[in-house]
Amino acid sequence: MITKIILEQIEGEASLYFDMKENIVDFVTIAFPHFRGMEKMLEGKNALDALVITPRVCGICGHSHLLASVRAIEDAYKNSGFAIAVTKKASKVRELTLILELIQNHLKWIYLVLVPHLKELSGSEELLNTPLKGAYGASLATKILAIFAGQWPHSSYMIPGGITSDFTYVDLTKAKSHLQKLTEYFETETLGVSVEEFLSFESCKDFVSIESDFAKIEQLLIDSGMQKKGHAKDAFLSIGIHEFSHAAKVKGTKLFKVASKYVQTQDAYAPDEKSYAKNALYKNQFYETGPLARCMAKEFKLIKNIHRRFKDSAYTRVMARIYETAHLLVFCKKLLAEIDIGDKSCVESVPLKNISGVGEGVVEAPRGSLIHRVEIKEGIIKSYKIITPTQYNIASSTKENPSPAQQAMINLSQADAKFIFRTFDVCSVCTTH
Amino acid sequence: MADRIEGVKKLFTSKSARVETNKGDTYYEELFEKCQARIEELKTQQPINNRLDLADVLETQGIERRDFLKWASAVTGMLMLPASFTPLVADAALLMNRAPVIWIELSDCAGNTEAFIRSDGPKIDDIILDVISLEFHETLQAAAGHQAEKQLDEAIEYFKDKYILFVEGAIPMGIDGNFGTIGASGETMHDHLLRVSKHAAAVVAVGSCATFGGVPAAAPNPTGAVGVMDLVKGKPLINIPACPANPANMVGVILHYILTGQVPELDSLLRPKFAFGYRIHDNCERRAHFDAGEYVEEWGDEAAKNNFCLYKVGCKGPMTFNNCSIIRYNDGVNWPVGVGHGCIGCSEPDFWDKYAYERPMADAKIKAPTGGVEKTVDEFGLGLLTAAGIGIGIHAVASMVAGKKEDGGEA
Repeated sequence: MITKIILEQIEGEASLYFDMKENIVDFVTIAFPHFRGMEKMLEGKNALDALVITPRVCGICGHSHLLASVRAIEDAYKNSGFAIAVTKKASKVRELTLILELIQNHLKWIYLVLVPHLKELSGSEELLNTPLKGAYGASLATKILAIFAGQWPHSSYMIPGGITSDFTYVDLTKAKSHLQKLTEYFETETLGVSVEEFLSFESCKDFVSIESDFAKIEQLLIDSGMQKKGHAKDAFLSIGIHEFSHAAKVKGTKLFKVASKYVQTQDAYAPDEKSYAKNALYKNQFYETGPLARCMAKEFKLIKNIHRRFKDSAYTRVMARIYETAHLLVFCKKLLAEIDIGDKSCVESVPLKNISGVGEGVVEAPRGSLIHRVEIKEGIIKSYKIITPTQYNIASSTKENPSPAQQAMINLSQADAKFIFRTFDVCSVCTTH
Repeated sequence: MADRIEGVKKLFTSKSARVETNKGDTYYEELFEKCQARIEELKTQQPINNRLDLADVLETQGIERRDFLKWASAVTGMLMLPASFTPLVADAALLMNRAPVIWIELSDCAGNTEAFIRSDGPKIDDIILDVISLEFHETLQAAAGHQAEKQLDEAIEYFKDKYILFVEGAIPMGIDGNFGTIGASGETMHDHLLRVSKHAAAVVAVGSCATFGGVPAAAPNPTGAVGVMDLVKGKPLINIPACPANPANMVGVILHYILTGQVPELDSLLRPKFAFGYRIHDNCERRAHFDAGEYVEEWGDEAAKNNFCLYKVGCKGPMTFNNCSIIRYNDGVNWPVGVGHGCIGCSEPDFWDKYAYERPMADAKIKAPTGGVEKTVDEFGLGLLTAAGIGIGIHAVASMVAGKKEDGGEA
């Protein structure tokens, strides 16, 4: 019998259709019932309007959409013969604000999604539900972001040629001080050890001595058997080019070259309800994208070690997201130290009306690889396509060829499956846009 | 021409656009007594659902009474009340756990929720999540599916005709509302909104999607998205547009409601005047450069480095009513103009089609924000555009002269 379960708290909602056999999930399809038509409304508009409209696809990763848009437009400049060389300062600030968006997302996911649902699953009394802790950490991250980007969510401060902000030493010092506070918050409230020490861990045996939210989460995941459940495809994609990540296709532990041109979409398979979602595939195959994929592509010791023992289990996925948060905090510090305020914020470029051609922007968003494809004619958008991370992870396909999330949920109890669904960090508004 | 200039004058001086910051002693004394009586009455009520006590939360968070009062005095100012109201505002904040708030999310990006949960001011986020009775919030609450629907039904029943309903997101009306359904029963967003708003004491539309349709309504409006005020009738309705709406303004509206039991004074687009009574331009930190005719001509030029006025690269501040130039975003850290990208007018209707990037106002098909009667809005708009055109003409000459002087100096 097929039962429908609605899941909320994913920036919107999704319908999961469980086909249960003796209380075990035999198969599941996923439908996203919302639609706005963002791609359609971009057609016929001035290409720069994309910088205002695409961030509004999503309230939690709008910055990633902004960067994908600006990269796509700059790519179209290049393909029209007017390549733009963005300065180091601009590209570092773009990178910095993107990373801060990843951090705020991960912190909120830990405290607003993981903790309450893990508590519910395990019935633990020890782990306390403290959503404010996550909101507070996230607010510190977005404060730094706002110094450079003006506001969060929905900033539009990146433009073809660089960024609009011309900040001062005072701003930079403020940012450094906020970052220090944010790092200390993460160390004391979440990890229980310094980020440097945490990043130096090589196996989960190193967790033994820590007492913290992280330690409780880790223990509860093990107690719930999450190291043996939630295995997806054991195949990963990290496509965006960034300093903090490494672009690669990973199968098991082997790294391969990756090229965004092989990413295509198809309609989601949802026989029980109209779904506005699309599935994203790479060379017609499903891959997982997001923090775990990035950690595997970057070959972090701790995550590789966990993966060797538990493969791409729900446990590994959660550990990767927390590990990535620590990695990004340290990376932020490095970026802030490298920014040279004497450099130009923005280089001048030819007027947009001279631009006709196609462009593509690929970005590592909080939930994984995000692609924007644009076709511009004399500065006006002819067509626009957005492929979001959740379209890979939470694709809905047939039983013969399940998506990462579908594969991760089968042969489990419904309670486990629902929890595992959330370990992918699902975003409904991105999926359907 | 003279008519048009008159039109512009009318737009900014018409009664509904006027912001009265001083209504006289008698008025405030009466209001004070009314508020005081209300606060006393609220004090006798029990907190809803055993919500936390704000005073306790403040104490455990190590926030001193002094800092709390500082915050209260800032909010009093924001609400355009005399300083003598500060203790009342502080009391009202402490009584926030008596106000039932239901929050529903329709066709949107959850951006207002995101802005809301890291709300403004010293630890106000704590006040919001822990103390305010967010009885039902579809993104924040832990329950899902049938359980969540049951909670919503219970909240509606229990707080019948007393709760404030916050709505985030537009309502897609296309194909009989089937671009967006909610909950286990597959209720359309339209039906959902009508059902949940039926017994609300007041409805607050948060963000540009819920107020005017927002980005989902951008041409060609693929889903037929509309705002709350197009559908909900016969209820006190407050619009808090902007994308995202500023958390300070949401808290302001709730506080005002607790304090007075009424909705704040609104403009013709149903926006609270305490927040939308002035233009971005009126209090802009770059205003002096506008007046001096010093403009950024292209992104990344010398003028941009010197933080000159962004009007010529498309800033819509002169046409946009909002208070971000004063209260800013993200704990007051910054705002768009602060980082050199012009205002996109996100608190005005149709900004998504007409106000977006790098289209100077004179080139954009902008309707004036309504100051007066609806039917004359277009005329006012025309007049204003022309006037702005003249303005920029004069300024262009001025900047050319300034440019020449500079060149001469170098030579």
